[in-house]
Amino acid sequence: MAEVVIMPRQGQSVESCIISKWNKKVGDPVAVGDVLFSYETDKSAFDEESKVAGTMLAIFFGEGDDVPCLTNVCVIGKPGEDFAQFAPKADEPAVKAEEVAAPAAPAAPAAPVAETAAPAAAPAGKDAFISPRARNLAMAQGVDYTQATATGPNGRIIERDVQALIAAGAQATFAARDAYIGSGKNIQGTGLGGRITTADLAAAAAAPAAAAAAPAAEEAEYVDVPMSNIRKVIAKSMTASLTGIPQLTYNMAYDMANINAYRALVKANGEAFGVKGITINDIIIFVASRVLLNHPDVNANCLDNKIRRFNHVHIGIAVDTERGLMVPTLRNADLKSLAQISKEAKELATACQKGDISPDKLSGASFTISNIGSLGVQSFTPVINPPQTAILGVNTIETRFRVVDGEIKPYSAMNLSLTTDHRVLDGAPSSRFLKELVNALENFSILLAK
Amino acid sequence: MPKSQYISTEKAFEKGFIHFNDIPVCQYNKTLAEEKKLYKKADFLRIYHDMRTIREFETMLNEVKTKSVYNGVEYHNPGPAHLSIGQEASAVGEAYCLDINDYSFGSHRSHGEIIARGLSSIEKLSDKELYDIMKDFLGGAILNVVEKHMKSDNVKELAKNFFLYGALAEVFARTTGFNKGLGGSMHAFFIPFGLMPNNAIVGGSGPIALGAALYKRVNHKPGIVIANSGDGACGRGPVLESFNFASMDQITKLWGMDGKYSDAGMPILFNIFDNFYGMGGQTRGETMGFDMPARLGAGFNPDGMHAERVNGYDPLAVIDAVSRKKELLLAGKGPALLDVVTYRISGHSPSDSSTYRTPEEIEEWKKANPIEAFKKKLIAGKVASAAEFDALDEMIVNRMTEIMKLSINDEISPRMDMEKHPDAIESIMFSNQKIHSMDTTREAEMLMPKEECPRVKEIANKVRKAFDENGKPVSKMKLYNIRDGLFEPIIDKFYDDPTLIAYGEDNRDWGGAFGVYKKMTEAIPYHRFFNAPISESAIVGSAVGYAMCGGRVIVELMYADFMGCAGDEIFNQMAKWQSMSAGILKMPIVLRVSVGSKYGAQHSQDWTALTAHIPGLKVVFPVTPADAKGLMTSALEGTDPVVFFESQRIYDKGEEFRPDGVPAGTFEIAIGEPDIKREGKDVTILTIGATLYRALEAAKILQEKYNISAEVIDARSIVPFNYEKVIESVKKTGKIIIAGDACERNSVMKDMAATITSLCFDYLDAPPVVVGSRNWITPCFEMEKYFFPQPEWFLDAIHTKIMPLPGYTPTANFTETEQIRRCKLGV
Repeated sequence: MAEVVIMPRQGQSVESCIISKWNKKVGDPVAVGDVLFSYETDKSAFDEESKVAGTMLAIFFGEGDDVPCLTNVCVIGKPGEDFAQFAPKADEPAVKAEEVAAPAAPAAPAAPVAETAAPAAAPAGKDAFISPRARNLAMAQGVDYTQATATGPNGRIIERDVQALIAAGAQATFAARDAYIGSGKNIQGTGLGGRITTADLAAAAAAPAAAAAAPAAEEAEYVDVPMSNIRKVIAKSMTASLTGIPQLTYNMAYDMANINAYRALVKANGEAFGVKGITINDIIIFVASRVLLNHPDVNANCLDNKIRRFNHVHIGIAVDTERGLMVPTLRNADLKSLAQISKEAKELATACQKGDISPDKLSGASFTISNIGSLGVQSFTPVINPPQTAILGVNTIETRFRVVDGEIKPYSAMNLSLTTDHRVLDGAPSSRFLKELVNALENFSILLAK
Repeated sequence: MPKSQYISTEKAFEKGFIHFNDIPVCQYNKTLAEEKKLYKKADFLRIYHDMRTIREFETMLNEVKTKSVYNGVEYHNPGPAHLSIGQEASAVGEAYCLDINDYSFGSHRSHGEIIARGLSSIEKLSDKELYDIMKDFLGGAILNVVEKHMKSDNVKELAKNFFLYGALAEVFARTTGFNKGLGGSMHAFFIPFGLMPNNAIVGGSGPIALGAALYKRVNHKPGIVIANSGDGACGRGPVLESFNFASMDQITKLWGMDGKYSDAGMPILFNIFDNFYGMGGQTRGETMGFDMPARLGAGFNPDGMHAERVNGYDPLAVIDAVSRKKELLLAGKGPALLDVVTYRISGHSPSDSSTYRTPEEIEEWKKANPIEAFKKKLIAGKVASAAEFDALDEMIVNRMTEIMKLSINDEISPRMDMEKHPDAIESIMFSNQKIHSMDTTREAEMLMPKEECPRVKEIANKVRKAFDENGKPVSKMKLYNIRDGLFEPIIDKFYDDPTLIAYGEDNRDWGGAFGVYKKMTEAIPYHRFFNAPISESAIVGSAVGYAMCGGRVIVELMYADFMGCAGDEIFNQMAKWQSMSAGILKMPIVLRVSVGSKYGAQHSQDWTALTAHIPGLKVVFPVTPADAKGLMTSALEGTDPVVFFESQRIYDKGEEFRPDGVPAGTFEIAIGEPDIKREGKDVTILTIGATLYRALEAAKILQEKYNISAEVIDARSIVPFNYEKVIESVKKTGKIIIAGDACERNSVMKDMAATITSLCFDYLDAPPVVVGSRNWITPCFEMEKYFFPQPEWFLDAIHTKIMPLPGYTPTANFTETEQIRRCKLGV
C-alpha cells in the first residue's frame, strides 16, 4: 500500500511551508530515516524524514513551491502502485506533478491537475485585463494582481508584472489568497516568506489601500540575488517599522563597576553554586525585566488605536544567525531568576543558530533587546520591531574617565541606545525609563533580591 | 534537352507541308456471316448477356432514383447515379478484348464500363483463380454475403453475383461494397480484375491512366492501359496533356538508349465515348471545334495516335477496333486513340430534364437501341431463338432484384459503423507503411555502380557541416548543402528500389532547375529519370497512376506556384485515392515543390496552406541539410503522398545545427516532428520554412539588446504535426510567435496559432502572434523586405502584441487598429 507524505504543520500559526530542497527524485529508493525533502517556514528550516521504506512514486510539488500544511507532498510505495488518489486537488496552487507512470496499474495516473486553473476571484480592478498566464501565476502565488502595474499591450497585466509584485513581496498564503486578491490593499505580510496571512488580512481590514510600488527597472551588469524568506521578513518588518512608526533614540551610559564585580565573583566561585556563564546580556535582560514593570507603556504593543500593556515581561532577544536576524522570545522574564534567564537565553540562541526553532517562539515579545556591543558599536539606532513600543540597543564596553575628588579616574562604562515609539512614549517618559534602567544596572546586585 | 539532338537552322527553316493520314470513320462493315467465323454462339450470347445486365443494373438505379422503387422493392438512394443507358455496346465491346493484365480506368459515368469489364474477366479467369480472388478480397466479406444469401450453380455464377453485389453495395455506400462504400457510384472499381479507379472529375482518369501505362512501360509489365472518357473530357487540359505526354518523342527515340532498353511507345489507348454531350453542352456544334474526337490524334504525333472512329452501337465493331488497337500497343506502337460513337439515352443525372435536346432525337436513339438491335441481328442470323433471349432476360432481372434486396438490407449490407469504429475513416487516411523497395524481385536498372556516379564522388569530398573546427564558415564550393541532403536519399533509393522514377520539367540534363539532380543523369537510364513536358497536370496525375499500380515516384513542379496548374491532380487525386479505395491503394509519391524568391508575384509563393488543407496529403518543409536528408529518406521509405516543400533562398545552406554535421549514412527523421533549433526561456518562435534563419537573427537581437531569450522551433513538418514540443515550450515561455513566408491570411501559421491558443490558453501571457508575409502579390526582389517577414518584424510583434520592449520603436505595424483596417480591406 502506497504511503502518502504530507506537509507537516510546524506550529499553530503556520499556514504553509516552502519546499527548499528535494533529496529524492521520483523512482529513487527510500529507506526509513532518509531525508525526503527540506522545507522552511518564514523563520525555521526542517528536514522531513521518511517513516516508511519503498520507492518514491510521485512528487506533487517542486522546490520553491509554497505548500499548504497537511497537503499531500509525495507518495512512497512499490513501483507500479496506483497513487492517483493522493494527488492534491485541482484548486491547490503550484502543483507540479512529477510522477512515475504506473504501467501495471489499470487506473489512470493522476490527472495533470496543475493545468486546471482555480476559479479566479472577480478582478476587482475595473481595468485589470490580465493574461491567462499572469492570472494563473497570481493565483498560484497569491498575488493581488489588481495592484500590478500593467506593462503589457493595451494595459494588459502580463506575467512580468505579477513577477514584479512577487519580487516586491506582495504574496498571500494559500489560505488568505482568495480574500486577498482583489482586495486592492497593500498589506504587509507577516507570514511565511513575508506572505500575507489571514491574520494580516483581518488586521488590515480597515486600513486604506495603498498603491503598489512600481517595479524597479532592471539594469544589467550586476547580479540579482533573490532574497531569502527571512531576509524578506526582515526587510518588510524593518521598512514597516521605519516608515510606519515615529521613533527616536535616546542614549545614556552607565558605570559597569557593580556588574563587573559580580561577574568576577561568579567567574571565581560560581561553579561551586551551580551558577556559570552569566553574560552581560543576561544581566541586562534580567534588570530590564524588573524595571519594565514600572513602565507599562514601554512593555507594550501599539495596536490600532490602542496600547496593549503586558502584565509580564516578554523579552525579544535579537540573535544574529547565518540566515539573518532572528528574534526569539524569552517569555515571562520578570518571573525568572537570572540563572533561569541565562540558561533559557542560551537555548533560544542555539535553536535559532540551528534553524530549528519553533515558529511559535518567534513572536509575542513585549520588548526587545539587541546587543551588538561585541562588534565595537558605540551607539546606534535600534529599529523597533512592530508592534512593540520600544527596543533597547546594547553597545560596547568602553573605558571612560571622570573626575573623582579632583582626580581623573578611569572607569568601565557601557552606552545604551533606547528607541521608543513617539506615538506611545514621549521624550520624558522614555528618558525616565532609561534613567531608571541605568540606575538599576549600576546597582544591579541589589536587584538580585527581587 | 539532349545534346544528341542538334537543332540546325537549315532544318528549322526547311520548306514543306505537314501531311496527315486519313482517319477512318465508322469503316467497319463485316457481315454476321463473316463474324460467325470469329465468335461462337456462346460468345454472341455473352455479349448480349453483358449488355443486358448493364441495362438492367442502370434501369434499376434509375427507377430507384426517380421512383424509389424497382420491381416492387422500395428504396431511397440519396447518392449520385450518372447513368449510361444506351452506351452498353461500347462498354461491352471494349471489355471483350481485355484480360486481367490490362488496366482500365473509367469515366465518372462508369457503371457500364465496370460491369462489362467484370463480366468479361469472370469469363476469362479459371474457377480457381476466381474463387481465390473472391476469397482474398476484403477478407472474403463480399463473398460471404453472396455465398450465404444467394444460390449460385457454379463458380462463374457465384462470381457474377459477387461482382454485381459488390458494385451495387458500393453504389449504395455499404461496407460490403468494393471500397467499403467510401468510393460510391462514381468510384467503384475492382483491382483484381484490372479494373482501376473511375473518376468523378471529368477527364480525371486521363493522366492517371497515363501513369499506369508509364508503370507498365518502365517496369516491363505485360498488358495495356485503357483510359476511358467522354467527348466532354476532351476539353480538359489534363486529358490533352496526357495525349501529349504519352506521345512524346523521347519514349521511342531516347529511352531505348541505343538498344540497351526498350524503345516501345506508351501502351495506352485513350478511348473516348463520344455521346455528343458533356453534361448538356453539345461538343459537336457547340462547345468544341473538332467535329469528331478522332481528329485530335492528328495533333499529337505523326501517327495521329492511330486514331479511328467506330460505331459504338455495334459491339462487334467496337471489338474489332479495340482488338486492332491492342495489337498495336503490344507491338510498341502506342499511344492510340479510339473515338466510339454512342449515345446516352438517360439524362446526365436523374435531375436532367433534357432541356438541351429534343424528344425526337432521344426517341430516334431509343429506337436504335444497341441491345435490341443486336438481339434482332442474332435471331435473324439464327444464332439463337427469341425464347433463349427471353430466358436470359428473365434470369438477369431476377438476379438484379435479388442483388438489390441484398444490397439495401441494413443487416447484411451495413454502412460503416462510425459509432462502434469512430476511427474507421481516420485509419485509412494514410497507409503509414514503410516499404524499402516496392519490388524486391529484381535489380534496379542503373548505368553504373553507385560509387562511380559523378555526384556521389563529388559529395564524398564535401564538408558536412557549415563551420570548421575553428568556427570559420566552410567555403561554398566545399560545403555539403541542402541540395546534397536531398540528393543522397534519392540516389540511394534509385539503386535500392527498381520501381523508383523521377521526372519533371528540366530534370535530366539540367539537373533540376535548382541543381538538386545535378550530375545524376550519368547514372540513371532515361526511362527512370526524364524531362517531362510542361504539363503539371500530367506530371502529377501520371505519378498518381504510377503509384497506384505499385511504383514509387518523385515528381517535381519546379516552383510551388505551379501547383495551381496541377490542382485537381494534387488535391483530388493524389490526396484521396488511398482513402477512397478504403486503404486498398497506396500512394508512394514525393511531390517536390520549391518556394521561390526574387522572381515576383507568380514565382515566390509559399503554398503550404493549400496542401495542408486537403485531407490525405503529408506536407513537409525542411530547411537544413540534415533535415532535408532525414525527411526525404522518410518520405521515400513511406507509402503516403508527401508534398515536399523546398526553399530557393537556402539551397546553398550548410548544416549549422548538428555539431557532427549531416550523418553520412542513412537516417530518417519522422514526418511530423518539429525540432528545437535554439533553446530559450522567455519567448517561443515557431517557424515554417526558410523564415527560421530570420527568426534566429531576431533571437540574437532579443538576447543582446533586451536580454530576452527566445526559443526557436523549426516546424519541419506541417502535416502531420506533433504539437507536444510546442506546448511544452509555450508552457515555459507563455509567449509565441508563429512565422513563415506564406501570406498570413488563412495560412498554416494561423491554423497553428488557433491550435496553440486552444491547447495552451491558460499558459499564454499574450495571444499567439503570426508573423507572415503581407496579403499582397510578392513585389520585386528589391522591395521584398516590405513583404516577407524580416528579423525586426519579430521584435515589432513582441513589442506591440506581447510585451513592450523598453525604448523600442517598431518599424512594421502590428497594432490592432492596423489589423482591423487590413482585414476590412482584404489586404
